[in-house]
Amino acid sequence: MTPPAGGTPLLALDGVGISFGGLRAVDDLTFSVAPGEIKGLIGPNGAGKTTVFNMITGVYEPTDGRIHFAGEDITGRPPHRVAGSGILRTFQTIRLFAGMTVLENVLAGQHLRTRQTWWQSLLATPAQRREEAELVDRTMTTLERLDLATVAHETATSLPYGMQRRVELARTLVADPKLLILDEPAAGLNDKESSALNETIRSIRDSGITILLVEHDMNVVMNVTDSIVVINFGKKIAEGGPAEIQSDPAVIEAYLGQDDEEAIA
Amino acid sequence: MDVVLQQFINGVTVGGFYALIALGYTMVYGVLKLINFAHGDLCILAAFIGLSVLTSGIGGANAGALLLAAAFIVAAVAIGIAGAVLEFTAYRPLRKAHRLSAVVSALGASMLIENGIMLIWSPEVKVFPSNLLPDISWKMGTASISFVQVMIILGSLILMAGLYFYVHHTRFGTAIRASAIDQDAARLMGINVNRVIASVFVLGPALGAVGGLFVGLYYREAYFNMGWIYGLNAFIAAIIGGIGNIPGAMLGGLLLGLFNAFAAGYVSSSWQEAITFALLIAILLVRPTGILGERVAEKI
Amino acid sequence: MVASRRTPWVALRRAVGPLLWLLGLLVPILLNGSWISIMAIFAIYAMVALSQDIVLGRAGMYDMGHAVYFGVGAYVTAILNTQFGWPIFVTWPVAIVAAALIGALLSAPIVKLRGDYLLVATIGFNIIFVLALGNNVANLTGGPDGIFGVGVPHLFGWALSSQGTLFYLDWLALAAVLLLMRNLERSRIGRVFRYLKEDELAATTLGVNARNYKILAFAIGAGIAGAAGTLFAVQLASVSPGSFVFTESVTLFAIVLVGGQASIPGVLLGTALMFVVPQVFRGLAQYRYFAFGIAMIVVMVLRPQGIWPRGRAR
Repeated sequence: MTPPAGGTPLLALDGVGISFGGLRAVDDLTFSVAPGEIKGLIGPNGAGKTTVFNMITGVYEPTDGRIHFAGEDITGRPPHRVAGSGILRTFQTIRLFAGMTVLENVLAGQHLRTRQTWWQSLLATPAQRREEAELVDRTMTTLERLDLATVAHETATSLPYGMQRRVELARTLVADPKLLILDEPAAGLNDKESSALNETIRSIRDSGITILLVEHDMNVVMNVTDSIVVINFGKKIAEGGPAEIQSDPAVIEAYLGQDDEEAIA
Repeated sequence: MDVVLQQFINGVTVGGFYALIALGYTMVYGVLKLINFAHGDLCILAAFIGLSVLTSGIGGANAGALLLAAAFIVAAVAIGIAGAVLEFTAYRPLRKAHRLSAVVSALGASMLIENGIMLIWSPEVKVFPSNLLPDISWKMGTASISFVQVMIILGSLILMAGLYFYVHHTRFGTAIRASAIDQDAARLMGINVNRVIASVFVLGPALGAVGGLFVGLYYREAYFNMGWIYGLNAFIAAIIGGIGNIPGAMLGGLLLGLFNAFAAGYVSSSWQEAITFALLIAILLVRPTGILGERVAEKI
Repeated sequence: MVASRRTPWVALRRAVGPLLWLLGLLVPILLNGSWISIMAIFAIYAMVALSQDIVLGRAGMYDMGHAVYFGVGAYVTAILNTQFGWPIFVTWPVAIVAAALIGALLSAPIVKLRGDYLLVATIGFNIIFVLALGNNVANLTGGPDGIFGVGVPHLFGWALSSQGTLFYLDWLALAAVLLLMRNLERSRIGRVFRYLKEDELAATTLGVNARNYKILAFAIGAGIAGAAGTLFAVQLASVSPGSFVFTESVTLFAIVLVGGQASIPGVLLGTALMFVVPQVFRGLAQYRYFAFGIAMIVVMVLRPQGIWPRGRAR
């Protein structure tokens, strides 16, 4: 399903740049993500992809340019407000809450939809207890969707790697995001798992969530994205559909000198 | 003007021993990211040890300079050893554990040393006899500088210069600095990090020991729970200068000493302490890494 | 927390707490005067320690100045009662709110600081607080000797003046705090505190306003400590700066670590060890704290996670 051309983008970066001390990590980056699209952001190691994500999600503040989401300027907003606008993300290195169960981890995704006040919590009012039960129900539904219901009460960080990734994903889905940012969701997955991931990504998009992802695994990138932005040394070097990108000379050159596995083939 | 000069002299003196004590905190923090809460007590223990040597009657009535030197050496060596033992028993086993466990261990060590002092020497204030040092002073206008002050200022300067040279111009000193920046990388480079840590726990306390004995000789008294006050103040000095930063500790010590001396003229001593801490909090809010500290970014 | 598998072992563990509390009700009946007062002090310090645990063990913030809030509660009650004649029970909510507000106010500027720096800042607040108390600020705090003559609470005209009744008051308050802690664990705030402690960044990307919740943790912890402070003032019939010095904060800090972070039985055990044992071994006076210091090191080295760490995720 390719999104209609034209129309207002859901996410738009306009001339975004950031410097760390003397290092220009990202420079004059402009691209947008259309609603319902699956957009890929690729580039060699150290190209600045995670930095771009960190800027979108408010972990870093860009020194130049603006970021617009759903019609609002979200440049420089702190992470919790970006999440409040409807952008959720996963991390390159999985960041689950240690020592807590899968259920407790995924419950975290519902934080913004929880209404109980601090005093209702301390006094365990009937309304609070009802809400707790609802939260658990909703969370279990998402866990079932992602085939995690059986491990709901296991310690999240004790699960196999692939399952941990699903838990992190579940945590973002339960928050009902408008835009989901996936930072190397296929890292550490084998072929079978990454094909399953492709399915999952497509079904997430089909449920109405726009997706922006960074990935090195070309099996995922080429098969699942609608369009791709390629960056190197913090600058955009190409943008277009998977087929175009594969044959773009600038892109091929950027990847020359990388290991065979990472070369586009 | 001479009042200012006198306060300046007093301030630099006090700054001298604060700097020496602060160095111990900063070196340990630099390498282990641990606030060694027992450090202040170690330094005060040095004062007691030094006092015992000085009042032991060794060498007869005219032992003079030699006895003084011996007191410093014995104190520094003893505390240096104590520091190494402390690291080995109370901190090393907790290297892999949660940071706060080492903090509590440090607090326990502090309690142990303080009460050890109380049990061995006395719960009461011990006075330093007045005949330990020559009663000379030199005039500078209407200000004067006494023998003990000259001794402290010169002694501190020499030791600090020595440490600076050691840390910046010897191989082992470089190993210390490397370990403070990135322990894992240092280890991969072949640096024996355990030895670095152990020696930091000898050097830091040894310098602090000299500082502690200076405190005793300057105020001519020592009591078992002095460690907290001087320790905390020296720790503030280290933070002001930039915790983990050696010149920072020296600078911080000097600034704190000057601040104390000048504030003493205008404010009562109890409010002085409050102001010192208020200053600390202000610095933490505005520039937590201190005057000479580095801003370290976290890679996400 | 949330509904979980109920093995018989878990149910048994859950019953131990309430059973022990019920047993405590027998203290004034079975034990003599000085023991009743020791247990009363234990209840009060346990409340403060649990409140310290909220900030340190649960929200993960290095608070080494918690005695301040304990002191605020105690002094507010002492001042309102002795200088303005307010009944104790009326001063109680005021003390709690005052302590919570001060907790929020003091923490607001410093919660952004990294662990060790936050720790040092809280120490600074504690020291300034005690100095201010000792200097008879606003001519209310009574100087280094503090304030004497704090009265007893009156309930429907009936004075709760005997050791036994005061003990029951403290014991009930402790139960209330334990209930609050349990509710906290099963609620959003409790979870958010854990998220913040484990991975603040990840929490913020899920919409958690870290700063507000950290201040909230301090405020709740301070409020509970303030509540305990009122009871403390009543118990001693006086307040003085010496009870809220920095070393008291250090002890509270150590209790949480030695007992077990975020572990209610651990914190209670830690309180018993750190406060009650020295009281019991008063006779050994001088050697007490020396042995204590050794014990603290040994416990941490042998069991860095604390004596009774929080159980695995249930």
